[in-house]
Amino acid sequence: MQQHSEHLNGIFHALADPTRRAVLGRLGRGPASVSELAEPFDMALPSFMKHIRFLEGNGLIRTHKDGRVRTCAIERKPFAVAEAWLSTQRALWEGRTDRLEQFVITAHAKDKSK
Amino acid sequence: MTGSTNPDLDLTMSRVIKAPRQAVWNAWTDRASFEQWWVPAPAKCRVLEMDLRPGGAFTTQISENGGEFKPHLSGCFLAIDDLERIVFTNALVGGWRPAEHPFMTAIITLRDHPAGTEYVAHVMHKSRADRDTHEEMGFHDGWGTVAEQLATLVEQSSVGAGTT
Repeated sequence: MQQHSEHLNGIFHALADPTRRAVLGRLGRGPASVSELAEPFDMALPSFMKHIRFLEGNGLIRTHKDGRVRTCAIERKPFAVAEAWLSTQRALWEGRTDRLEQFVITAHAKDKSK
Repeated sequence: MTGSTNPDLDLTMSRVIKAPRQAVWNAWTDRASFEQWWVPAPAKCRVLEMDLRPGGAFTTQISENGGEFKPHLSGCFLAIDDLERIVFTNALVGGWRPAEHPFMTAIITLRDHPAGTEYVAHVMHKSRADRDTHEEMGFHDGWGTVAEQLATLVEQSSVGAGTT
């Protein structure tokens, strides 16, 4: 249990930063090189590498160097809790339902104020 | 009405939304409204077909990170009961044609509630073996969404902590 929450801590810390979120989001679609990952950011490479090392240090991604190219891939295990598939679907539908609720309440409030 | 429930394969989402049933129904059935909430920002949803009748096509696309629109949901409505119920599946596409990668049927139910509308989404999935193929196929959608939602949660709780 303790180990589990430490793991979650790592995930939450990683996700608390927009750059790291974007990197994880991009890697969720497949591996990419560091330069590819860094491209959308207006950031010096050493600063960007800190984020990469942070993610790797927390076991959320793995990297390997081939010649001059360092490729990053997402480490799925930390996120793969038991019943991960159904959890994923649940998160998907929870999110949808939350957004629907938010949308309806906002739209309805606008309607009433007309 | 929803048949039997299998806890290993089914999900039920239930919410009381503080708005009249008509407002919830409109958010679901008006294409432009639906596009606003179906996928998490910054991804964008485009409804290609939303033919609200049994056998009617239900097709959406998703664009992530400003990229091109790619297929997302490809399914068909099974039942539409005005203001009450929407049933759709991706086991069939428009005109009841069998689909390539079926894995779910969803039943959306709206009921009056003293505080507004009781909204229930009951989603039934196919067997475990098929999930794995889907997991690979729908990886970016599912996984990315989990990550994003966690991120949103973090942001919200930090905002909350800052203001209270």
